[in-house]
Amino acid sequence: MEALKQVLLQLRLDPAALWLIIALPLVGAFICGVFGRMLGRANVYLIACATVAGSFLLSVSAFLAVSPLESSQAVSMENAFSTSAIRYAFGYDYGTWFSTGTFRVNFGLLVDHLSGTLLLVITGVGFLIHLYSTSYMSHDEGYWRYFAYLNLFVAAMLSLVLADNLVLLFVGWEGVGMASYLLIGFWYSDTAKAWAGRKAFVTNRIGDFAFLIATFLIVLLVSAFNSQSNTANFTLVGGNPETAQVRYREGLQMKGPVAFQGLEVFANGMHGTAEKAQGGVSLETPIAEGPLKDRTFGGVLTVALLLFLLGAAGKSAQFPLYVWLPDAMAGPTPVSALIHAATMVTAGVYLFSRMSYLLVLSPTAMVTVAIIGTITSLLAALIAFAQDDIKKVLAYSTVSQLGIMFMGVGMGIFWAAVLHLVTHAFFKACLFLGAGSVMHGNADETDIKKLGGVRHEMKQTWFTFMVATLAITGIVPLSGFFSKDAIFHGIHHNHLHGYEWASGAIYYMGLLIAACTAFYMSRVYLLTFEGKRSPEAKIPHAHESDWRMTAPLWVLATLSVVALFYALPLMPGRGGVMQPVMENFLGPVFSSAERIASRGGQVALDHSIPSLFDYLKAWVVALTGGAAAAFMYLKFFPARAGQPAPAFARSVRRFTQNKFYVDEAYEFLVIRPVKNVSAILYKLVDTLLIDTVAVRGTAWVTTRVGSALRYVQTGDAQAYAAVMALALLGGAVYALIQVLK
Amino acid sequence: MVPISYYLILAAALFCLGMFGVLIRRNALVVFMCVELMLNAANLTFLAFARQNGDLTGHVSAFFVIAVAAAEASIGLAIVIAVFRSRGTVSIEEIRTMKH
Amino acid sequence: MSFFDTHLLNLVVYLPLLFAALVWMLPGAERGQIRTVTFIGMLVDLVFGVWAYLRFEPGGPEFQLEYRTRWLEQLGVSYHIGADGLAISLLLLTVFLGPLVVMASQTYITERVKEFHLSLLVLQTVMLGALVSLDVLLFYIFWEAMLIPMYLLVGVWGAEDRQMAAVKFFLYTLAGSLLMLVAIVALYFISSTPGNRSFDYATIYNSLVAANSQISTCMGTGDCERLTGMAGILYRWGPWLFAAFALAFAIKVPMWPVHTWLPDAHVQAPVAGSMILAGVMLKMGTFGFWRYAIPFFPSATHQLRPFLATLAVIGIVYGALMCLAQRDIKKLIAYSSVSHLGYCMLGILALTAEGATGSAYQMLNHGVSTGALFLLFGFLYERRHTRLMSDYGGIAKVVPVYTASFLIITFSSVAVPGTNGFVGEFLVLLGTFKSSLGLAFGVLATLGVILGAAYMLWMVQKVFFGPLTHRENQGLSDLSLREFATVLPFLILVLVMGLMPQPFLDRINPSTERFVTRANLGAPGSRVQASDVRISVMGLPPAGLAAVPHSPTTGPLADRR
Repeated sequence: MEALKQVLLQLRLDPAALWLIIALPLVGAFICGVFGRMLGRANVYLIACATVAGSFLLSVSAFLAVSPLESSQAVSMENAFSTSAIRYAFGYDYGTWFSTGTFRVNFGLLVDHLSGTLLLVITGVGFLIHLYSTSYMSHDEGYWRYFAYLNLFVAAMLSLVLADNLVLLFVGWEGVGMASYLLIGFWYSDTAKAWAGRKAFVTNRIGDFAFLIATFLIVLLVSAFNSQSNTANFTLVGGNPETAQVRYREGLQMKGPVAFQGLEVFANGMHGTAEKAQGGVSLETPIAEGPLKDRTFGGVLTVALLLFLLGAAGKSAQFPLYVWLPDAMAGPTPVSALIHAATMVTAGVYLFSRMSYLLVLSPTAMVTVAIIGTITSLLAALIAFAQDDIKKVLAYSTVSQLGIMFMGVGMGIFWAAVLHLVTHAFFKACLFLGAGSVMHGNADETDIKKLGGVRHEMKQTWFTFMVATLAITGIVPLSGFFSKDAIFHGIHHNHLHGYEWASGAIYYMGLLIAACTAFYMSRVYLLTFEGKRSPEAKIPHAHESDWRMTAPLWVLATLSVVALFYALPLMPGRGGVMQPVMENFLGPVFSSAERIASRGGQVALDHSIPSLFDYLKAWVVALTGGAAAAFMYLKFFPARAGQPAPAFARSVRRFTQNKFYVDEAYEFLVIRPVKNVSAILYKLVDTLLIDTVAVRGTAWVTTRVGSALRYVQTGDAQAYAAVMALALLGGAVYALIQVLK
Repeated sequence: MVPISYYLILAAALFCLGMFGVLIRRNALVVFMCVELMLNAANLTFLAFARQNGDLTGHVSAFFVIAVAAAEASIGLAIVIAVFRSRGTVSIEEIRTMKH
Repeated sequence: MSFFDTHLLNLVVYLPLLFAALVWMLPGAERGQIRTVTFIGMLVDLVFGVWAYLRFEPGGPEFQLEYRTRWLEQLGVSYHIGADGLAISLLLLTVFLGPLVVMASQTYITERVKEFHLSLLVLQTVMLGALVSLDVLLFYIFWEAMLIPMYLLVGVWGAEDRQMAAVKFFLYTLAGSLLMLVAIVALYFISSTPGNRSFDYATIYNSLVAANSQISTCMGTGDCERLTGMAGILYRWGPWLFAAFALAFAIKVPMWPVHTWLPDAHVQAPVAGSMILAGVMLKMGTFGFWRYAIPFFPSATHQLRPFLATLAVIGIVYGALMCLAQRDIKKLIAYSSVSHLGYCMLGILALTAEGATGSAYQMLNHGVSTGALFLLFGFLYERRHTRLMSDYGGIAKVVPVYTASFLIITFSSVAVPGTNGFVGEFLVLLGTFKSSLGLAFGVLATLGVILGAAYMLWMVQKVFFGPLTHRENQGLSDLSLREFATVLPFLILVLVMGLMPQPFLDRINPSTERFVTRANLGAPGSRVQASDVRISVMGLPPAGLAAVPHSPTTGPLADRR
């Protein structure tokens, strides 16, 4: 055991080598993309998988470096903005990316417990999906393109997670969007698929628009804080206030205003109310100068966070920007598993967890996040009821689960949201890969009504899919149960000041969503795997996929069981109360949020452990949903086969099946008007008004005047001479008059 | 000594004769002769002022004008002859081609 | 002091002209030779241009690599060239585009090859000359001279409607620049007393500084009507003179609503014309604002700033909306230029360090990415001779390398982080948010981010994706080696400028700071000291020959001379 520890210690990653984690997949993308066709299939597979595997190993080593086996070996890094070191984290700054005026962005990478966890998920699940893809894409001509894009995605996602400032995070943020665009439209000769890619990119861009504005507001806020704050603010940061302030200013010069460490100090230094501030800056202080003059810090911060919410809604498919995700299922299934289930779409949750200290300063923003999460989750769950495409159901289920994570983040139970992010990555990737396996074995059939009874032919797929379904529905010993329940418990017991009603309301909505989840997931599972094979199936018998596809399924299914460990209260927390492992592990990341919350101004965070009764309640809810589905699809509908459904049920079904006509509403309210306005502007303003009337009008007037004047030109030399003479005479007379005067 | 105003009045009369000739006569040759008349009227004023001021600048100018007039007459007559050859007329009214 | 110490910029500027003389001596039938000689000329120019760029010290004096000699002394004109951070950056862009333009036209131009290459070389010289002139009259000469070769490029080697487009381009631009000439002459008379008058940039600027700071002081208190002397004249006429300069530059940029020459000129121009037009010539407008219009008239700038910034924002959104209404690919790219140049203008008008630097960087980016878009589309046009999107569709399968290159440039054009476009756009928007213009400008300008993605990807979609709809496109050949070699530098630059912008920004930053300080001299009640903004340049070299003593005229008509 000691020897193993020694070996693990040796394996710790050197901070300066962090860039390799991103660079490896990037190099893979470059090689596959540029030389892929020359290298041939096997080499491309090898390179693509090997680079991600290498990245995974490096991530493990980075993870080991920040997770001490003994507390005496805990790493810590210098904080550029504060005298106190950052514990359980390490990072490296590769110098300036760009700087001008007072603004600066560095290439700074940072690994702490949060990004370490995500590193493992991204590279681990990423590797499994690469492996799976080698079989899934074995008949596709564009394999090299596919793997290049996939590697590019992994690189972008890693830079999103590793970035230590907002702008570098934005590189990953847009980078994953770009890779997602390329992968959704991978089969570009199908117009609908290519359009789906564009829809995803443009919708994401709406979010990015908000993200950018939010970043600018943060820059303005930080500079206002820097000029208005005094030592009263820095007493909150810890250490000697004067030194802390000097240190903060140095940090701003060294790393610029958008570094997360600086934002953390900023959040810590911000007083809640004017009374407590003792002359320092508080959330109620108006900004003294600049474009935000006379607006309060708290107000601007709330607006910035709401804009970040819109940005996160774009990336994480939340209401009102979720519409791209179901369409994104046009991409290859492994892509849906990696990008549109496990990693990219969780970026919003990651962003808010990363900036938890800012979020807890604004209960308004938090409650909005939670409400948006609830609406999205419920809406998506309802839509999922009536979808027949297996991937679409999973897509809406993803939207719904992401909504649950947002609810958690919004109500301040950050660690549970991150845990749910991780467990969801496991079981949803497993579900998607399982669905891909089903499609692969059934001649690309995606309609669950035309499948059925697959369990007998695809035993491995069936079993793993079942495990994952049980996990997502929240059946007891599986991870999904614990992570979801931890979120709901936190929602119930955390309180946002001014929005106390939210805790209860969102909690009960959460239970309803859980029941819905259980219902539609059971439905998918039952219709696909149980019962008899549908007579409309494309091929009479399904075939099981090969090991490269089933092995990842097994791994993921196993992970979605064992991840429950993280939710068990095994670690000693404050006051001797046992804490869930994940809460303990992520403690350092959310310590600032805790500290700010414990000042008692904005939110009250709870740390209790769910009681057995809570568990029972959740379990009953999940069972009810599952049982209802079992009854409907095993007994009720098969018995009524051939009879038409009642008109009411059909219209409801049509309404849900058409996704509540949200897409149509957008088409009608946004896309059509923009198109029409641009066409009208082009025809009316550009072509008619400016070009025809103003520009050609000038030319026309000149021509007309010229052709009118040309009749003066009679050709009679004597007439010209007469005019000359008269003019001369006139001039002479005028001069004479002037002289005589 | 004859006062300068006499010379000037004579020159003005000559100039006006020339000018009206240029403006109203139809025959290109006559127009030409009227131009010469105007030039000579100018010469007369030059000489009158030269005499009045007692310097030679006016005389120089007069010689200059005579030279120009000679050149003009020769080129002008050549053009008139060329026009007559191509159009068969020297009437100004009938050679109005440079219009509109 | 070696020859290169004093003459490096001269060399960069006039080398193309030298090669033009060589080309001129070649017989017109020797097309290959003509192309090679031109290409070598541009390449050598690139080498010297890069050398000049590297010799430029970011922390050094404002104008470097200066050269000044006597010329038209009676008028107060001297031959004076030199480069600041912005000029040297744009110079680099110009010499970078030079050889690529020649390569791009190798098969595109088949008629009047000699004249074409002569125009290219002459155009290169005059563009470089306009960038480095430090004498306002010299600048004006180069500025106007740019029109002629460009007019020929569009009018002779253009597409079907070339005459109309060329004349439109010529008259549009000329109308503005003649007004500017009036303003230049007026400035010449205002800025100094008889006998000391000069067209030298630094002299004019320095003599206006005191008057400008008087104006801004009195604007702070509000009694400007009593100003006398130069300040009084400048107070009354400054806005008009600024408007004349601004109109000339705005047409060149082009800002809304004087942009309509651009789509026509771009659509009709040959690939070389479009590349140079988009790559360099449009920047002359923004460069003019930066170098002349704003520093000369800071108070007028502050008065008209909201108006101009509104036009810039309209340009951003309007240009993007126009793109959505196009069927013609080249027109779409042209309108996207209107949108991108709107960012450049907004960044300049933000009058913050971030905004101005971002704007300068955006100028370079736009030259690279839009230049490359025109280049790539030129290759396609050469093959199919149609510009309509509906005549393509699904060609990604036929021309994969081409598609990949086009996509990368598209991402650069829509400013995906990691490509060059992002850095510029981000800084411009940040600068706008930081500026005193108001948040609405920033928010509306950021809308362009969404629309940019919408129209560019729409075009990519229509042209490259979906099923192959036209049988004629089945036989399209992918990029040849020569074509790929032309595109590759752009692709490399897109990434290099996106990931390592700092070396470029280092050269721009000092210029930016000076520009912002000078512009802020005009803010009402500004506290900028006149001594902070004065420009110091090289003096006139001692005359080799004693000039004829020029006795100053006296008397009542003296100052009307």
